[in-house]
Amino acid sequence: MVNTPTMKDTKDTGHAEVTSQQKPTSSPQSSVPRPFGLLAELTYRCPLHCPYCSNPTQYPPTGAELTTEEWKRTLSQAGDLGVLHVLLSGGEPLLRSDLAELVAAAREAGLYTNLITSALGLTRDRAERLKAAGLDSVQISFQADEASLADSIAGTPSHARKREAAKLVRDLNFPLTFNVVLHRKNLGRLQAIIALAEEVGAERLELANTQFYGWAFKNKEALLPTRVQLEEAERIAAAAKVRLSGKMDVLYILPDYYGDRPKPCMNGWGRRYVTVNTVGYVLPCPTASEIKWLHFDNIRQHSLAWIWAESVAFNRFRGTAWMPQPCRSCDQREIDFGGCRCQAALLTGDAGNTDPACSLSPYRDVLNRIVDGAQQLPEGETPSSHTTDLQYRINPSHSLT
Amino acid sequence: MNDEPHNLPLSSGTRPRLAAKARVQTDKISGKLALLYPEGVLLLNPTGAAIVELCDGQHTFQEMVTTLAARYKSSPNSLSSDVAEYLDRLRERGLLELISEEDS
Repeated sequence: MVNTPTMKDTKDTGHAEVTSQQKPTSSPQSSVPRPFGLLAELTYRCPLHCPYCSNPTQYPPTGAELTTEEWKRTLSQAGDLGVLHVLLSGGEPLLRSDLAELVAAAREAGLYTNLITSALGLTRDRAERLKAAGLDSVQISFQADEASLADSIAGTPSHARKREAAKLVRDLNFPLTFNVVLHRKNLGRLQAIIALAEEVGAERLELANTQFYGWAFKNKEALLPTRVQLEEAERIAAAAKVRLSGKMDVLYILPDYYGDRPKPCMNGWGRRYVTVNTVGYVLPCPTASEIKWLHFDNIRQHSLAWIWAESVAFNRFRGTAWMPQPCRSCDQREIDFGGCRCQAALLTGDAGNTDPACSLSPYRDVLNRIVDGAQQLPEGETPSSHTTDLQYRINPSHSLT
Repeated sequence: MNDEPHNLPLSSGTRPRLAAKARVQTDKISGKLALLYPEGVLLLNPTGAAIVELCDGQHTFQEMVTTLAARYKSSPNSLSSDVAEYLDRLRERGLLELISEEDS
């Protein structure tokens, strides 16, 4: 895998009159919001080599992964802190032989359990054990609609096994989310990708345009879509959303390089989500460790509650007080929270700047130059005509432990 | 999963049932009923909770309205459209299955 799993905002405006919403909190001093979601990165080992992998560009040592007992303690602390969802992710979480035990521990902690997987290694026996442990939901990543392109993106034969696993997931009555990361190589196949999601019986389809940091940033020339591709894709996705309403929930995640306003990354730093990585570092977002100067605390030394509420890292960009102009006086500041700190760090050298994905950012031209460079295709090339320009991700050994 | 009638109109004999992917539990922090599903959570206020707790595939829409009217000392007629609207929003999110009279 892995693309960054999307946890949709828990704020549900459509239910305003009959649901209670936690009010966004701007100032951590007055009251710290509670986290709703935990991203548990169980391992960075993975059988796939996706060129847009969102895991950190430098891996911690595999041998230092949190133990079963450490994860169980973390899950329990998450439940006590108010977390209601856990994404069991990676790497490939099925490579943890204790996965079913962790699912059971998460359920015991009161969490809704979502498995975010490539599905490689999801045998019937494994799936049944996860079901028995209380696993609530499964998300499988696909790379394209058919094997030759999909396997060339994943860097390994995998498409056929994913299809089989999707069928198994539906046979066992798990709700299935079909996730595909979109980019230059597969956007032209969107219609067929949607058809495949229907065919395998997905209840939810996540069409997630590549976010360009980490490994994807290394591959941006090969993966950035053209404007023409995106316009066509948006049209297809919008039509599918209408056609499949009530049958399959279609979510199209816009590519922020082509937008005017940044994405509300993690719905605000330290506001709703918390990530615990393979070796216990507790992060406001899964790529935050790319901000090298910021000190992150570890679940091996501190409680999750303390790190969430008190640690330097979680308070550094919490709320709006940290914001520079133009964010500070912008009427969108409680909506997009200044965008993505990691993207600001990557493109401007300072994580405290406005995300250049905002057209009001003084650094927008950095991003525009990258986008403009992606519009030209060499003569005779179609965007998906070859994958020889991809730099594949080399992952830690994926042998079972 | 071929027995999911997705787009049926809500009639008095329809029996709403929470979708298999959704489950409810008490939220430790707020004490409210939390409706959990793959992409999120709704924290329900007492009225929402009262409606959702009746979405068990046993009560018909008419029975739900009657029960709620008794509990909130209101007339079924005045409650009916509010409850229908709420159920429809849950259905739009794929959180509710509507079992028609013929199926039950």
